[in-house]
Formats: sequence, structure tokens, C-alpha cells
Amino acid sequence: MKQRILFMLLLLFNAALVMSQNQVIKGTVTDEEGKPVDAATINAKGTKRSVAANSLGAFTISAPSSVKTLVVSAIGFLPAEQTVSGSNLNIVLKKDEKRLNEVVVVGYGQTQKRAITGSISKVLARDVENQPVQSFESALQGKAPGVVVENSSGKVGEGIKVRIRGTSSISASSQPLYVVDGVPLTTASQSDINNEPTNPLIDLNPNDIESIEILKDAASSAIYGARAANGVVLITTKKGTRNNKSVIELNTTLGISNPTMKRGFLNAKEYVQAMHVAAKNDGRYDFANGNAGPDGNTPAANEKEDITNFINYYDTNFIAPYALGTDWRHGAVNTSWEDQQYRKNALSQQYDISVRGGNEKTRFFASGFYNDQEAIVIVNRFKRYGGRLNLEQSINDKLSIGINMSLARTELARVSNDDAFSTPGQLMAQVPTSPLVDPETHDINAKTLYANALFDAKYNSDNQVNYRSIGNIFGNYAFSPALSFRSEFGTDVLNMTEQTFADKRTQDGGGIGKGQYFTSQNVTFNTNNYFTYSPHFNDFKMTTLLGMSYLQNDLRQSNQQAENYPSAAVKNLTGATNVTFGNSANERYNFLSYFFRSNLSYKDKYLFGFSIRSDGSSRFGPENRYGYFPALSAGWLLSEEAFLKTSRVISNLKLRASWGLTGNAEIGEHQYLNLFRVSNYPDLAGFVPYQLGDPKLKWEKTTQTDIGLEFGLFNNRLSGEMDVYNKQTKDLLLAVNVPATNGYFDNVNFLNQILQNLGRLENKGLEIMLNGRIIDQKSFKWSSSFNIAFNKNKIKDIKGQVIQGSSLQRAIEGEPIGVFYMQKFLGVDPATGDALYLGEDGKPTHDYNAAKRLVVGDPNPRFTGGFTNNFSYKGFDLNVFFTFVSGNKIYNNAGRFMSDGFVNGLDNQTKEILNAWQKPGDITNVPRTGWFNGSGSRTSSRWLYDGSYIRLRQVSFGYNLPLAASRWMKISSARIFVSGTNLWTKTKYISDPEVNTLGTNISGVSNITGGVDFYTIPQPRTITFGLSVKF
Amino acid sequence: MKFKIVILLYVLVSFSCNKKLDVQPQNTVPAEEIKTSDDVKAVLFGAYSTWQNANAFGEKYNTFTELLVNDNDIDWAGTFAEYRDINNKEEDKLAPGIYQVWANSYHTINAANIVLSKLDLLGADDKTVVEGEAKFFRGVTYYYLVNLFARPWSAGNVSSNPGVPLILAPLTGYDAAKDKLPRASVEAVYKQVLSDLTDAVSKLPETSGSFRATKFSAEAMLSRVYLSQEKYAEAAAAANDVIQSQNFSLTQLFSNAFNNVANSTEDIFAIQQTAQSNTGTANFGITTFYSSYPVGRGELQITDAHIAKYEAGDARGAFFYDGVSISGSPGHLTSKWKNLYKAIPVVRLAEMYLTRAEANFRKGGAPVGPNTPIEDVNIIRSRATLPPLAALASVDDIVAERYKELAFEGERFLTVKRLKIPVKEHSYDDPRLIFPIPQREIDLGNALPQNEGY
Repeated sequence: MKQRILFMLLLLFNAALVMSQNQVIKGTVTDEEGKPVDAATINAKGTKRSVAANSLGAFTISAPSSVKTLVVSAIGFLPAEQTVSGSNLNIVLKKDEKRLNEVVVVGYGQTQKRAITGSISKVLARDVENQPVQSFESALQGKAPGVVVENSSGKVGEGIKVRIRGTSSISASSQPLYVVDGVPLTTASQSDINNEPTNPLIDLNPNDIESIEILKDAASSAIYGARAANGVVLITTKKGTRNNKSVIELNTTLGISNPTMKRGFLNAKEYVQAMHVAAKNDGRYDFANGNAGPDGNTPAANEKEDITNFINYYDTNFIAPYALGTDWRHGAVNTSWEDQQYRKNALSQQYDISVRGGNEKTRFFASGFYNDQEAIVIVNRFKRYGGRLNLEQSINDKLSIGINMSLARTELARVSNDDAFSTPGQLMAQVPTSPLVDPETHDINAKTLYANALFDAKYNSDNQVNYRSIGNIFGNYAFSPALSFRSEFGTDVLNMTEQTFADKRTQDGGGIGKGQYFTSQNVTFNTNNYFTYSPHFNDFKMTTLLGMSYLQNDLRQSNQQAENYPSAAVKNLTGATNVTFGNSANERYNFLSYFFRSNLSYKDKYLFGFSIRSDGSSRFGPENRYGYFPALSAGWLLSEEAFLKTSRVISNLKLRASWGLTGNAEIGEHQYLNLFRVSNYPDLAGFVPYQLGDPKLKWEKTTQTDIGLEFGLFNNRLSGEMDVYNKQTKDLLLAVNVPATNGYFDNVNFLNQILQNLGRLENKGLEIMLNGRIIDQKSFKWSSSFNIAFNKNKIKDIKGQVIQGSSLQRAIEGEPIGVFYMQKFLGVDPATGDALYLGEDGKPTHDYNAAKRLVVGDPNPRFTGGFTNNFSYKGFDLNVFFTFVSGNKIYNNAGRFMSDGFVNGLDNQTKEILNAWQKPGDITNVPRTGWFNGSGSRTSSRWLYDGSYIRLRQVSFGYNLPLAASRWMKISSARIFVSGTNLWTKTKYISDPEVNTLGTNISGVSNITGGVDFYTIPQPRTITFGLSVKF
Repeated sequence: MKFKIVILLYVLVSFSCNKKLDVQPQNTVPAEEIKTSDDVKAVLFGAYSTWQNANAFGEKYNTFTELLVNDNDIDWAGTFAEYRDINNKEEDKLAPGIYQVWANSYHTINAANIVLSKLDLLGADDKTVVEGEAKFFRGVTYYYLVNLFARPWSAGNVSSNPGVPLILAPLTGYDAAKDKLPRASVEAVYKQVLSDLTDAVSKLPETSGSFRATKFSAEAMLSRVYLSQEKYAEAAAAANDVIQSQNFSLTQLFSNAFNNVANSTEDIFAIQQTAQSNTGTANFGITTFYSSYPVGRGELQITDAHIAKYEAGDARGAFFYDGVSISGSPGHLTSKWKNLYKAIPVVRLAEMYLTRAEANFRKGGAPVGPNTPIEDVNIIRSRATLPPLAALASVDDIVAERYKELAFEGERFLTVKRLKIPVKEHSYDDPRLIFPIPQREIDLGNALPQNEGY
């Protein structure tokens, strides 16, 4: 005890001694234009003393009187040294136009842009903030070269296909790995598999994001080893600052959305006309072929009589029943059913408030958010609210601890999948002569051609609620300035319930009422523990990382279904009399990993990197449980060499190259085992053999080579980056078809497959990014950014397997993944109006069954990109952003119902049917119509379209309040803006080109299917008004 | 400082608890866990669920075959292309349903083979019954497979006409060497069917709990096999055995034979269903297709021509109702499959009377059993509230009676094939009245050759 007191006294004395030698230095930090620089760090040179400037750029630092110089640094500025003289220093920082000192987040650490030897795209907060989207990836399209984002439909919260440098697997998932502040996220859909997959990333508030780094090449991603083959997306949330003053920021937006385009269907008059044309065709055909009339029982004496018979038959049996006694001949009813599926001016609103600040010891960011978006399609709606707290506390010079945590509640009011009659998207199939309201009952028309989905919209519900908590706690211990240790414990807790109710008045209710309650609890626990050692020896700099990570995921699901509801009064299962299904299921997987990385640089111009990761996973059998994933990279900053250093043209030039191996293990659990599934025959619960496993199953391996060039010209007025890559995937985790006779049958998905490591595929590509500060005056600025990425996917070897994604798409050797494989439509025979197909013999044929199936198109774009222009004049700013996609095909799978000339049903038709063949000699591309004898209604390339588009993704116009006004209002800044999303699109496709019906019974987005439209809801066109205020 | 680093390093490494990576399935059963008597019985019970499946007796053994031999009895009012194609005798070798029927049948066979390979795990009392039951499943399934995918026995050349691949032992792991199996001859498949079913007859008990298969289930199915082979004496004997057992009796009303929560008194073997365990509701299942919307899709509609075939007063002719399909087409529907979650008769006592009558008639001589053919036919007629026939003009009267009694129960195609009855312009042996081997199998080099015409 005495000793301690003595020690304390000594310490105090010591401190007093230090104090007595201190000087107090005050000053302000500004940029060249005199604006205060936020968050500049001021260090007393030669000591550990540092402070941060406040929001006005002012700082006060006390330092030993021996200190003669201050070192000032801030993100986006070149570091500066200032000699201490006088009492109030004015330090001016120069902007870092080369952005070489920009901080870039990498796996388990961060580095400076100049030190990077891999290919990383960085997207900043402003690109994802205040956008009319549900999750941040939707806003990435066109921002980062090589990242292709396919919004699947205009429904809210649906799964989104994201591909980084192409699809690198056939049977395993090809979605990238998402990591938020060190925690890998659950991104597979947790929703009921009887509907389309949803996107779990909607639980993350885009406005909480500080930056998104996309690790594209192997050198940057291989540190994530077995999960990195599809690229890694690192999301860093906003953190506290060392500012003295806290900044409160308020954002609010209000949006109005409508569909980008409608398909356009026949009106009542045109429909009746088209029907009569069809009847005439049928009559002529019937007579010419000696058939006996529409009912097979009325042979006609001549063609005219036969036509009359058919017209009468159409009128009585096809038109009148749905007109409900209205005068359809004179257009008494003209319903636009397509309009019925959309809201008029769907509203969306968003509010969020955040506080960001801190002092020497404590740094914090806290936010609260609320978001409510109506989809353009009726019923469908998305709501999210929650909060975030990111807090870091320095305990002492060596130890700091902290927490990053977000809690969110997300709610989706859903509609049925695109393939269900009950989905609003299929209302367009109803006929225009069919009234909306039944004149007899004065209720919704129940006598429509197909069960009226407006009943489902009115009475049914499918509500999904997620409670999501993502976060971690961490501790950082610095043994010395060069050596530190960091430990993180993170979780991603996703709790979802989905409750559906189908009223007995609706089709889905089956006349008795049906309900379902589905829950999913998906919990990831993850810990990262690593040393970072970064010593400097004169011209040598090194950063070395050594650590481990363990991840465990537990999934618990249950599902109950019940039916027979006396009424709609109680929609819970409690209200049903008969429970028809109940189950619960648990799954676990885990990964145990070790990693090492070392980056060396000599004289800041020769860069070298090496990393290796070992991964072990429960997903593979004991024989092949571990995988090793190395990567090598090198860079050369030519512009730092003597011969370029003085160049006036070249301000930055860097060459880099990398090679590495990454893996993929996204195959679900227990694929290597022979398994039985439980069966529930009444009173005789049993096991059925359902899966053969390959005990030798191992990681899918992707080797990627990347060569990159970064340059800056004319003091970086023009800068750019270019990468070529070659990504070779081998040992594909391939679901190989095996003969059904072996009797291991997955009778839920109807498959006889075994997952094996078999086959190879490749992605090769080129990415170019150009940035220019075209006009850079004090009051007027114009900067421009253009990026384009080419990717070529090819399946090199799957041992001749035929792998179907659906009946329309396949993986075929020598072709890109997912090619459309079907009969080729060659047009219409002018003599007969028959559809012509390419026959097995290479000649045109009328006989569909003699037509050959072949590759008719590729759903993968040849190139994609974006083009942004930013203008600012005084307080005004204007941003104009285009995205484009080229070379992909879209198949309208609903063409065989909406443009088939009534052969497959009496559905209302798109306008193209008005151009159908009517008499010999007609030259047209639309075959003969007719319910009885029409032609060309079956699946063929007739409905395959060029899916290329260029789209004005966003225009936003903002005004920043002048400083004086802000001061007068006692706020730091304010911006008001209006923006338009998807205002203009150029495409040859007949509906919105951003389309991909996802299908059901899948938890993710399939690799082989894509670019298929089946009554899919188009993208919204949104006008957003926004206000952003900082206090 | 070094000490701290060493401790932290130790912490890093100590995580390497490899056992963490051994995660056992919690929803499924690894094959090596089948190791007790109860496990083996569970695999046997699994076979029941494969028959309940929509790809077997739960639907497609019925709907696909009824559409295939549909003359002018059914109006297909649906939208699914595959059903339409089958009805039009334009089967698509690439279509999913035919593959699913094939795959599901081999699923049943595999379950039976697994059970038969693990009989040693069973106690003496269970062993005989379980063996008999597994063989019953295997034998019946091969009988259906050979009739669906191969030329009928009646077409002759049974030793050279290809049947289906004959697999009698299970795979214990994936074996590429067993990927390409030839088709055994029709004769070889029938031989196996007979051997399995006669074994089942000798090993199965006369009664069972939980509506499991009995000796009579096997005998009843055996009588169908004998009919197919034109072995009339054996067919009559098998049917007679079932009838004489007194274990079954015709329901008082014809309508009582259907839509029961469990077996009726005349069900010799039936598939059980409950609200929780059934053959499907939305897109699958016998009721789904045959029953009017909104209970079902109402897409297999019965023609006026069919209904006209019944005499006035025939209870069976009144067993139809008017309904509507899911896409709004009105039509007549059979009441046999009207309600969801009811037992699906696979073989009924009524059939045994008609089989005994027909087999006795065809073989001639003294009838097997106590009744003459006409007496047997009149038993069925009187239950259908029809007056007895005075005499049988020909055997066709029995066949006609059989069709009316068993209409839309999935038995018709067996009769069409064995009696060489043409369907529309197609002869009984037309390639279009035989399903294609699923092209997927052919592409894998399995079950070659493909059937004629595909």
C-alpha cells in the first residue's frame, strides 16, 4: 500500500515536471480556399502528442517547449509541417490531388492508396446515401468497374444478383462475400422458399455507411481465402471523429415512384378485333383442313360459313362470358388491367439523424433511421427502422476498446411470386372487356378469365419481419508504435418471421382459407484475432499481419401451415381449424482460418506483397477439410523514379501485378455425405434415401492474375486506372447429374445429382476507369468519371454434362454460363402464317417437334459501365449519372401467353399481335393467331430480345446554403436537393431491361438462370426531394 | 512484452479445436446411421411415402396413364404442357414429369433394396414380414415401370424387347462404374416381378396394422401381373384367394368406396393421406387434378361421351358432378377423387371379382372359386344398383364392366395393353402409347436404348 502511494506521488511529481516544461500552441487549419478542414490531426513532431482540429479547424495543443514543428495531416490533403512561431498559427493544407494517401480499407486492416498492389474499387458514402433503394448494392451499379448489379424487379426487398468479374461457379453461389466492420454477413435469403428470395442486406441502413471497398483481384481478396472467389465487399460504417464539437446530421427525403415503362396491352376494341381475326384464321384453317368446326361437330359447307361458326363460337364462349352482360361489341367496358397492378405515385420517405463526434479518449457515431417505401406494385411495401452506435474508447496509450452495433427492424409486405396467378403482375393477363366491378354484386369482379388477383391484393397478406443486429466488440493493444494486436468478437443475428394469410375468397385461399407461419433465426458468431507489425527501416517499410478467425453459423427454422379459417377475423394460425404442416430444422456450419500477410515497400516505389490463408470448414469431409490460399503481388510507382519525378505531364504512374488462389464453399451443408431424409407417411414415419455424397469433396479453386496500371496526368487533372484479369476456376463444385436408377432421389427438388469437383470455367476481362477534373475554377467545377468493364465468361470443361438452370437456360461447354437454349424462330411463312423454326436438318420447318434446340443467346453482358458528371457552381451542384449494359439477351418467358395469338389462352395481348399474319402473302414476324389453329405459341427465340440499355440512372440537383445563412440559422451547413432516378432509358427490350425473375425454391440467386422476364415488375422511376442539415 | 505476445499467440492457436469442424446433420440421417432394427423398418416405411408421392400412386401412375390411353373419356382443361402432350400422344422425352415418375420409381426400388440388404439387423419375428413387404414394393414398382416404359407383354418378343434396368442391390456410395446400366428384357423384369410378389405372398401376414401391405395386397397385385401375362388360371386363383379370405367386403354403396379417411372395407391396398402427409395440393396430387376448383385444379374433366357409357340407374354413372377448372372452364368431374387428404385405393375387392370373372371366362373349364363369371359380374352390378345380367354375351361384357367400375383409377392402361385395345388411331403397341425413357438418362448413357419413336 505504502509503495503504491509512493508510486502515485512520484507519478504526480513527474507529471508536474512535464507540465512545467510545456508550451501551449493554438491555431487553425484551413484548405487553400480558407475553408476549415474537418478532422485534421496535429502532432507535435518528435512526441506522441496529437490533437484534432474542431469543425472550425481550430486546435489547441500543449507540447514540450522543445517542440519546434507541428505535423498536420488530414484525409484528402497532403501532410504539412509547420514551424511553431507566434501564438496563433494558420496552417494551410494542400489538397491531395493524387489521392495517393487516401485510406483504403483492406482485409483485417487499412492501407494507403499508394501502397496497394491489388485491384480495389472504393465507393464513398455520398454514392449510396439518400438513394431510393432498399439496400446499398442497388446503388453500386455503374460506380465500380467490374461489379455488375442486376436488380431483379421493381418489387421491394427482392434478391439482387451481384457479380464481381463474372460468374465464377456453376452450382455453388457466385454472390460476393459481404463483410461489415469485420463481420461476414448472412446474405442468403431466409424467406419462405415458396416465394422469391429476398435480400438480407436490406437490414443495413445505407446512410450509416462510410465507404465500400470491393476487393476484386486475388491479391486483395485471398486473405478471405475459401470465401473470396466471388470477390469481397468490405463495408465500413461511419465512425466517431476526434473533433471537439459533435456534428448532428439530419437527412430526410420524400420520393414518388412510378413504373419506368408499361408494356402496353390491347384495349377492349382492339381485343375484340384481334379475337375476330383469330376466329377468321381458325375458320379458314378449319375449312381448308376439312375439320368439323369449333366444337368438332359442325362441319361447314363453305369457308364463309365456317368462319361465321367460329366467330359465333368466339363471341359466345370466349368473349361474352367475361363481359358479364355488358355491351362488349360497343366497348362498354374498357379495363386497363395493367394499370391495376401499379400504385399511382408510390410514396417513399426516409428520415435519419446521426451524431458524430468525440474527443481524445472517446469517439462515437450514433444514428437513428426510419425508412418507408411503397413499391410501384400494389401491396408491396418496405419499412425499416433502427439505430446504430459505434463507440471507441482509448483506455490508455496502448489499449483501446470499442463496439460497433446496429439494430434494425425491417418489414416487407410481399406479393406472390411472378409465376403465381395471384401476383398483381399477372393482372395484365385479364381481358379488357372484363369489368373491374361485377355489375351484379358491385364487388370486385370474381368472374375474370383467371382468378382475379385483386381479391388476393385486398384480402391476403404476406408479411415478413426481420430483427437484425450486426456488430462487434473489439480491443486494440499497441505493444509499441509498430506492433499491435486486435481482437474482435462479432455477431450477425437475423431473426425473421414471415406470416402469410390467404383468405377463403381468394384463389390462394383454396375456398377454405390458408395460413403459414415461418420463422428463421440465423446467427453468425465470428472472431478475428491478429497481430499487425509495421516497422520502418530507413527506406524499407513493412506491414505484416498474422492472425486467425473462427466463424460459426447456426440456423434454426420452423414452419407451420394451417387451413380452414371460418373467417378473416383472425389471420394467425390460431384462427385455423386444421394444421397441415409443421416442422423445425437446425443447421450449423463453421470455418476455422489462419492468415498471414506481409507487404513490403522500398523507397515508397517498389512494392511487394504476399499472403496466405488456411481455411478449414465443416462443409467438407475429413479427407479434404483444409484448403490453402496464397497470393503474390508487386507494384512499381514509376512516377517516383528520378526520370519521371520532374515530369510535368505525368504526375502519377503505377504498374502493378498480382496472382492468387481463392476458394468457394457456398454449397450448403453435408454435401459430402450419403444421406436419408425423413418421410412422414401416416403412422409410418420413415427414412428415404435422397443424397449420394462424394467424401473427397473439396474447395472450388479460382486462380486469378491481374495486371493493373494507375496513372495521373497534368497534376492529376486526368487520372485513371486500368486492369486486365484472367480468372480461371477449376475443380468446380458441380452438381453432376447421375442416373436416376441409383435411387438416391431428392424428391423435393426432383434431382438425381451428386456434388463433385469437376470442370473448369474462366472469366477474362478488362476494366477501365477514367476521372477528369475538366473545369476546376474556384466557383465553377466540372468533374467527370467514366468506367467500363468487359467480361467474357466461358465454360471450358464440364465433361459433356448438360446442366440445366431451367428449361430455358443451360451451362454448356464452350459457351458462357446460362445461355438460352431453345428452338430458333425464323419468322413467319407468308403463305400459311405458320411460325418457322430451324429444323434438325438445318432447314426451316413448320413442325415444332422437328425443330432443333440450340444456343440462341447469352444473358451475360459483354460490357457494363457508368458515366458520371458533377458540376458545381457556388452553392449549386448537379450530378448526372448514366449506367449502361450491352450485349446481353433477355427472354420474355410470358410471351407465350401475352403475345401468342390466343393459342395458350385468351389472355389479353400486347400490341404486336395487331401485326399478325392474316392472309397469304402477308409479310410479318407475328404468326397466325387463333385459339384452335394458331401457330408459334411455344417456347422459342421468338421472345428473345437484345437486353442492352443505357439509362439515366440519376440526376440530382442540390443547393448548399451559403455560409452566412448557415451561421445566421445557427447550423453548420444545409443542402436541399431534388433527384430523379431512371428518368430516361434507351433499350430495344419491350419492358424494363433490368429484369430477372428469380423463381422459387432457391435461397439465393441462381448462376445459370438470369435475364428472364415473366410478368416481372419493371423498375421504378423516382423523383426524390431531400434535405440534409448539419448542426 | 514478449510474454504477452506468446500468450496471445497461444490463444490464437488454441482455437484450432478441429472437432468444431465435425458437424453432424440435424435434419437428415447419414447412411452409416442406419444400424438398428427400427432404422431398417424406417427405410421400409420410407417406401410407403415414395408411393404416396405424386409421381407414383399419389397421382401420376394415375393421371399420366389415364391421359395416355384417353380415347374420348377425358377433356384436358389444364395449362400444364406435359399433361396436354401426353393426352395428345405427343410425349416429350425432355419433359420433367416423365423423368420424375421414373426417378421416383427407382427411389422406391432403392428403398426396398436397402431394406433387403440390411435384413440381418432385424429380429427373427420382423425379418420375414419386412422382407416380404420390401419385395412387395419392389415387385409392384417394377411391374409399373415395365408397363410404363417398355412394350407390353402382349406384344410378344418378351425375351428381346428391352424392359427397364434391373437393380437388385443398393449402392452404398457413388460408383461411376454402375452409372450405365442396360435395360433388362421385358421377360427378365416380369420374372423378377413374379419372384418378388410370390415371395411377398409367402412372407406377408394376412392382416396388418397401420394399413401396411398384407399377403392379400401382394396377391391382388399378382393377379394383375398374371392377367398381363395371360396366365388366366393363376390370375383367377390369386383373385379368388383374396376374395375367399373374407378379410374384405364390398362397401354397401359404390360411393362409400372413395373419399374415406382410411381404408374402406374393400380396399386391399390403399395409400393413406392426412392433412399433414399427402400427395400434394397446389400443383401435385390426384385430387388436385381431378377435383373441381377451388379444392383442386379441376383439369381432368370427364366427357359427356364417357358418362353416356353408363346404363341408366348405374350408381357409377351418377358418380360425377359439375365443376370448374382453375382457369374457369366448366365441366364434369369424377367424384372418386373429390376430397383432399383421403385414402387412395390402389387395388379394391371389386377388381378381384372382375378379375376372377374374366380370368375364369377366358381360361374356360371349371371356374376357380365358388362363382361363375356371371355371378361375379352381377355382384359388382348389384352394388352399382343395376339389375343382374342374364347372360354374358362375350368376355367384352366383363371388360366393359371392369372399365366402368375402375374408371379413372389408373388401371385402364394395363387393360388396354394386355387386351390390345386401340386408343384413337393408335394401336395398343404404338410407340406413342409407351413413355420415352427420360432423355436425361439416355444423355448419361444409361438405360439404353431409347424407345422407338423418340
